[in-house]
Amino acid sequence: MLTIDAKNVDFYYSEFHALKNINLEVEKNKVVALIGPSGCGKSTFLRLLNRMNDLIDGTRMTGSVLIEGKDIYAPGIRVDELRKEVGMVFQKPNPFPKSIFENVAYGLRVNGISDKNFIEERVVQSIKSAALWDEVKDKLNKSAFALSGGQQQRLCIARTLAISPKVVLMDEPASALDPISTAKIEELIYELKKDYTIMIVTHNMQQASRVSDKTAYFYLGEMIEYDDTIKIFTNPKELSTQNYITGRFG
Amino acid sequence: MQSKRISQAIAFTLFKLMSYAVIVILVLILGFIISRGIGVINWEFLTAAPEEGMTKGGIFPAIVGTFYLIIGSSLFSFPIGIMSGIYMNEYATDNKLASFIRIMTNNLSGVPSVVFGLFGMALFVNTLGFGDSILAGSLTLGLLSLPLVIRTTEESLKAIDNSFREGSLALGATKLQTIQKVVLPMAFPNIITGLILSIGRVSGETAPILFTVAAYFLPKLPNSIFDQVMALPYHLYVISTSGTDIESSRAMAYGTAFVLISIILIINILASVLRNYFAKKVKMN
Ligand SMILES: Nc1ncnc2c1ncn2[C@@H]1O[C@H](COP(=O)(O)OP(=O)(O)O)[C@@H](O)[C@H]1O
Ligand SMILES: [Mg+2]
Repeated sequence: MLTIDAKNVDFYYSEFHALKNINLEVEKNKVVALIGPSGCGKSTFLRLLNRMNDLIDGTRMTGSVLIEGKDIYAPGIRVDELRKEVGMVFQKPNPFPKSIFENVAYGLRVNGISDKNFIEERVVQSIKSAALWDEVKDKLNKSAFALSGGQQQRLCIARTLAISPKVVLMDEPASALDPISTAKIEELIYELKKDYTIMIVTHNMQQASRVSDKTAYFYLGEMIEYDDTIKIFTNPKELSTQNYITGRFG
Repeated sequence: MQSKRISQAIAFTLFKLMSYAVIVILVLILGFIISRGIGVINWEFLTAAPEEGMTKGGIFPAIVGTFYLIIGSSLFSFPIGIMSGIYMNEYATDNKLASFIRIMTNNLSGVPSVVFGLFGMALFVNTLGFGDSILAGSLTLGLLSLPLVIRTTEESLKAIDNSFREGSLALGATKLQTIQKVVLPMAFPNIITGLILSIGRVSGETAPILFTVAAYFLPKLPNSIFDQVMALPYHLYVISTSGTDIESSRAMAYGTAFVLISIILIINILASVLRNYFAKKVKMN
């Protein structure tokens, strides 16, 4: 079964047609990179997968999105349940003004888990999976705001992993970070692939080619090309894709 | 280059002078009240009822009355104001009802307080039959401070970056959980400042209580919310204008003003202390 299956997706911000007939399939435990010039609809598409766009007034979607075979836009779908399955890491690190521990425990608590031992175990495990443990193990009760930007972003990843999603969406997760933090996040994505299906938006071509199995190239709301990352970067079918990855525009 | 530097210096000096002027004015007012009022401040003044046509004794009933009115109006305006503020900023960002409420609150905050007094008298005292009472006065003062409470709540919530809400929602939290566990705790320091400042406003108002609760002279304490009380601002007005012997109650008037200003000052200090305390607490846990 496909993990993500978007069929004939069109999306509008009021009158503005932001996504045009997108068809995209993702298999389990793959990493897909979304690339394309600013404003082409990458974030919009990503936010369709956990229904984050619902928060914006005046938006409209047609077509369907299936996550593990389930239509997430079907009537009766609970958005909060969906978002447990489809986690999201944002461009700018956005930890809560709480302790490091509570940041990671948050998703568990709001989902009704109160078993202390379970929470503690899961928090530790998630922080370890996010490759942050060695740096924070002695200060779990300190404010998350005291961490560096790179650490905060890994904390946000840990927070997302804690609720055991099936899919992890990342919207330019390293764009606000220094090269070393970026490298750490990339390594992390490579590790996470074993357990999660990941979709990542990036402006960094090297990053896309390093971390992803498949790459989708978006342009002006259309998905121009979607193929194995190797093919996209060595032998794209479309001229537009080639121009973009070789830096001739965008 | 040179002229740029000069205009820079002139502007800077001007700004500095103006802010000093503000401080001077403030110190003058405070100094004036304190120097005239401090003489009558003693234990009896703070704890006894007025005597001998309000030229002797103390202002205890007025302090207590003001205190009750603060509590009563807060009980009314805080829950309603905070909840509508939350509704307007978190739930109804773009709808007609919210912008209607917003326009109404903006207009309401421009209505002179004496109009509130008149309205309070018509509605609470007469129509609803509460009579001149703590209840009627509290409701009237509550109405008066409602726009301020709504506005501070809304502004405080607006200041919270949307990325925190999205972060919470993306973890499967409901909207209510997001508001309770992330948004409100973050906005709390600012909300509490606004609430306390609204208390400061309420404690100093005269006109709204004039026709709804304030007693001219009532040396005993109230037994229920249907009793009248004395209140500091009205008492000050009374002994400054219509006492039996205005000249000899002058000192009492300054003493009353001193107490009123002290209360408001303490409230403001409390606001900033609480604000810093909660701001730190939000960051830490
Ligand atoms: N909230 C919004 N309201 C209206 N238009 C929007 C909104 N968000 C994005 N858009 C528009 O939709 C298009 C796609 O945006 P986005 O998905 O953010 O692009 P990308 O992430 O590829 O840079 C852009 O033209 C942008 O201006
Ligand atoms: Mg984007």
